[in-house]
Amino acid sequence: MNGVRRREVAKRIFAYEFNRSTHRIKPEEDKAPVYVLTPLGMRCNRVFVVGALLDKDEIKPDSGIWRIRVADPTGAFFGYVSRFQPDALESLMEIEPPELVAIVAKVRVFERDGKLFVSLRPESISVVDSETRDYWIYETALKTLERIKRMELKKDEDCKLAWQIYSPNLNEFKQIVRQALASLKEEFELIEESEEEIEELKERREMEEKEFDKIKEKNELEEFEEDFEFEEEEWDLSDILSE
Amino acid sequence: MKEERVKQLTNQIVELFRRSGYDVDAKEISKRLMLLIYEFKVPESEAIKTVKNWLIKELEIPKERLAVESPLVKIADITKPGQWISLKAKVVQLWDSSSPNVSQVGLIGDETGIIKFVIWAKSGKGEVEEGKSYLFRNVVTDSFQGRMQINVNRNSEIIEIDEDIQLPPREIEVVGALVAIQQNSGLIQRCKLCRRVMTKGICPIHGKVEGYDDLRIKGVLDDGENFYEIILNEENIKALTGIDLEKAKQIVAERLDRNAVLSELKSKLLGRYLKVRGTKGGRYLIVSDVEFLKGIDKAEVEKLIEEVAA
Ligand SMILES: [Zn+2]
Repeated sequence: MNGVRRREVAKRIFAYEFNRSTHRIKPEEDKAPVYVLTPLGMRCNRVFVVGALLDKDEIKPDSGIWRIRVADPTGAFFGYVSRFQPDALESLMEIEPPELVAIVAKVRVFERDGKLFVSLRPESISVVDSETRDYWIYETALKTLERIKRMELKKDEDCKLAWQIYSPNLNEFKQIVRQALASLKEEFELIEESEEEIEELKERREMEEKEFDKIKEKNELEEFEEDFEFEEEEWDLSDILSE
Repeated sequence: MKEERVKQLTNQIVELFRRSGYDVDAKEISKRLMLLIYEFKVPESEAIKTVKNWLIKELEIPKERLAVESPLVKIADITKPGQWISLKAKVVQLWDSSSPNVSQVGLIGDETGIIKFVIWAKSGKGEVEEGKSYLFRNVVTDSFQGRMQINVNRNSEIIEIDEDIQLPPREIEVVGALVAIQQNSGLIQRCKLCRRVMTKGICPIHGKVEGYDDLRIKGVLDDGENFYEIILNEENIKALTGIDLEKAKQIVAERLDRNAVLSELKSKLLGRYLKVRGTKGGRYLIVSDVEFLKGIDKAEVEKLIEEVAA
């Protein structure tokens, strides 16, 4: 459509699935958006995340680049905010963690020691209430479950590709969804028979986070050199043309 | 069968000449078509051309007076059967065709309405795809069971166009997260003459003129599958945030910054789930009702948990 790229939809995804997404789909043409393929066969370029902002740290004094960590019931998202995201930076400066936040972000992939990692590059950050967080968990559980079903049926090319690359254990992902939903029930009643499994997942997650901590110390600055991308719908001429 | 086909072709020719202001003898045309097509086995298109040429000579019609191109019409203007027309429309829906005589059947639409179309197998015209826009040139209107439709025949042309034809406005309800608020939102100024939004006191049409204050938000609502560009007016904004025009002006007076209103609105609305009802015509969803989404249904959560366990 008249050369302006269509806006990317903000996908709903739990940290658990997000952090395991390491496959990058190369754009077919120059300047086309880069997508990350998740283990459940979803392409994403933009995400909408609601969770608890746990930390914000400037990666070097006066660098103006902030690392954030945002947790949902299944794990934690990492992200970086710099002056290239003025709106997000402005709000971040006013937030004292821990705080519930909603984040609209672009997905970034980077490589460290031969491994690929994903992170968020927030476009906006806002403080929200627990109702928003609850609805996000519910909605994300619903959509994750839909993806699991599509994977079971090997519904399309992206599902097939995800099987090929990740061969995911779908039960593990079901477990994650269940865990997220359980957090919505008052008093956090855990589903008894799965408590052990949940413990196991928790441990595994902690290990992953430690690993991330190790790698993130290295040259984070270099991520921001390429970090400028011109995108889509900002050509809003409707005010000039008519209304 | 033969008679029917000849009658159909005759009507098309009669209509073509009628549009140019000539009354022609249908009986004579039928007779000639019958002879050419079924006696002499001349291809239909050749037969039609021959008859047309004969009429032009007979009636001494200057060639340029004969309308060769059917007029470009909007769907709402299609009210009579048997008219030759052209129209630009988007394919809304394709139906399964049960008849071998029909190559494709379904609905097409433009901003004025939606109409059924039939592409006859005999027309040999290319396939159309849902969601794409086309110029349907020289098609014939028809009435079937009291409803208007258009028929694509062998004299028609279907040309894909690079234009995204809009469909008639329709009422929709969306639940989604407000993922973006555009810069030209908040306390804005509109031109007194044309109501367009002014930038730094300048109307894009009228230049430096007097303006008046207004409150509006242009934003993006995203449900994880689709996004909707929405416009919220003062009333919508007040319903959500309690901020109306007066309050907005007060904020500006207190903080000495027009942008303070936009910041305030962003902090109250960005990242929130909204339930919006409105009309989607062109690019924007014009909002009639909007509210914050109220909590989740516990029963739905239980249902989902059971589904996962299964
Ligand atoms: Zn004006």
